[in-house]
Amino acid sequence: MSSSGGLATERIPSGAFWQLVRFEGKMALREPIGIIFGLALPVFLLGVFASIPYMSSHIVPGTNLTDFEVYLPILIVTVLLMVTLLGLPIPLARDRELGWLRRFSTTPAPPSMLLGAQVAVNLVVAAIAIGILLVGSVVVFGVSVPHQLGGFVLGVMLGTAAMFVMGLLVAAISPSEKSAAGIAQSLLYPLLFLAGAYLPTEYLPGWLQTVSNLSPVGAARQAMTDAMQGTFPTILSLGVLVAYIAVLGYLAVRLFRWE
Amino acid sequence: MNEAELNPHALTTLDAHSVPIPWTTATPNSVSVESPTRKTRAVVTVDRLHKTYGGTNGVHEVSFSVGEGEILGIIGPNGAGKTTTVECISGLRAPDSGSINVLGLDPQKHRQEVRDRVGVQLQEGSLPPRAKVREVLQLFASFYRQPADPDELLSELGLTEKRNAYYKQLSGGQKQRLSIALALVGNPKVAILDELTTGLDPQARRETWGLIEKIRDRGVTVILVTHFMDEAERLCDRVVLIDRGEVVAMATPEALAEQEGGGTHMRFVPSAPFPDKILASLPGVSSVEHVGPHVEVTGKGDLLPAVMQALQIVGVRAQDVQVTSGSLEDAFLRLTSQRTRPTTEVAGS
Repeated sequence: MSSSGGLATERIPSGAFWQLVRFEGKMALREPIGIIFGLALPVFLLGVFASIPYMSSHIVPGTNLTDFEVYLPILIVTVLLMVTLLGLPIPLARDRELGWLRRFSTTPAPPSMLLGAQVAVNLVVAAIAIGILLVGSVVVFGVSVPHQLGGFVLGVMLGTAAMFVMGLLVAAISPSEKSAAGIAQSLLYPLLFLAGAYLPTEYLPGWLQTVSNLSPVGAARQAMTDAMQGTFPTILSLGVLVAYIAVLGYLAVRLFRWE
Repeated sequence: MNEAELNPHALTTLDAHSVPIPWTTATPNSVSVESPTRKTRAVVTVDRLHKTYGGTNGVHEVSFSVGEGEILGIIGPNGAGKTTTVECISGLRAPDSGSINVLGLDPQKHRQEVRDRVGVQLQEGSLPPRAKVREVLQLFASFYRQPADPDELLSELGLTEKRNAYYKQLSGGQKQRLSIALALVGNPKVAILDELTTGLDPQARRETWGLIEKIRDRGVTVILVTHFMDEAERLCDRVVLIDRGEVVAMATPEALAEQEGGGTHMRFVPSAPFPDKILASLPGVSSVEHVGPHVEVTGKGDLLPAVMQALQIVGVRAQDVQVTSGSLEDAFLRLTSQRTRPTTEVAGS
């Protein structure tokens, strides 16, 4: 998307994109559904886990990670889902329903710029949320920096990209704000389950573990967990994420409607 | 057709059923003749525009041009294809066939350049409810290469007091004024205003009319889509009447009203009886009828002097003379109902 946006912004005054990001940022702050879920949730969950000392002392059998460390990737995936399924597609679908996208497309600014600005705003929210989680883990829970830092960062980045693309696809196929919210909810809960937010995925039957590993949330969690254990993420989890980015991204671009 | 092309003041009425492709014979030279009020170059030319989607609401073979600095009205019943036409002009939709020229540019090929020079106010195109007036105007200003000063525009449109108000707090009239401001913030050469006054109260409508005249006085060419005939009569230098996707008529509002509005009616009480044929034989007179003591003469053009002269020759004086001419609304109804008559007859009788 950034490439098509870059191509088309050649002739419009520089600075227009940042004006738009600022504008959309203000809109997001004034109706902060994505921000509340994206930022308040990690703080709340950190607080809850901080009150359970067992979480950061008990080592999960078969790993070299504490319970909290096993949960950290799940928390990261959870806030990413909040931002990408609630913060991104619902306002976008509403903007289209209102005719704001249509109004925007009468200006010299390419419509993809509006999409880019929405993504930028939500990326900032996601980055802050993940930042809170990581800093909190190190400071409050004494989590050490992942042994495979590069692999961890790669897992976070690919997971973020896969989930943003998923959010854009939801925005693309939702004819209205209501339907965007409906689709987002119906994806959110199964994905939280597959990420292991309700129940450690180790407890799941084998076939469901496979489903989890092949889901974007499961693959992202696995990649981060591997890196925290000191091994580079597997080709499988990285490949799954790249495949989701490519396929969902292609569908989102093909299906997106401006009105 | 030939006469109409030779005389720029003549009304061009096209019966689309008998002449399915009315403009294929027109030479490019006839384009300049189509602008009777101002002898200026065409800034927008639509040539045989064809656009359909899924069946209804398309346009077929629509051609017209807009002269620099004029207010051109596009009138027609709901669903006639007015919005489709202006959406093609602004580049929001790609024509199936035909060509559109806006300030020498093709809206599809020169997307950015056309949008930089053409301000558009859409029929449906709301803003985020929590966007503030000045904020959104400033944002839009940043998209144009030579924007107007947002604050000046706000004061010109009477929105200075509302500059920090949320969009959702504005009244209907204020929303429309903001919409005009957004259409003008890029300092456009052409402004397209679609159904600008629909849903406004009479006071706000009149204020908006004043604004449109102000826009024209700034040298901006205006394309005004409307289904209010009083609005078209008051504001437009010329109107293009579109019905079911086809151009039915194109003229000044006055010419259209006079020639298609059922003509001029003259009513008087004669001082003595006289044979009808002395009036019926006059050029332009289409009927002479007796209603009680009154005689009603219907026809086209300036009937009064000819009728008075004919009466004088036979020694009859006309008393209590009333002359009414057709309105644009009459013309509109006549031209559009003519085409729908076959179906209404089935339903009605």
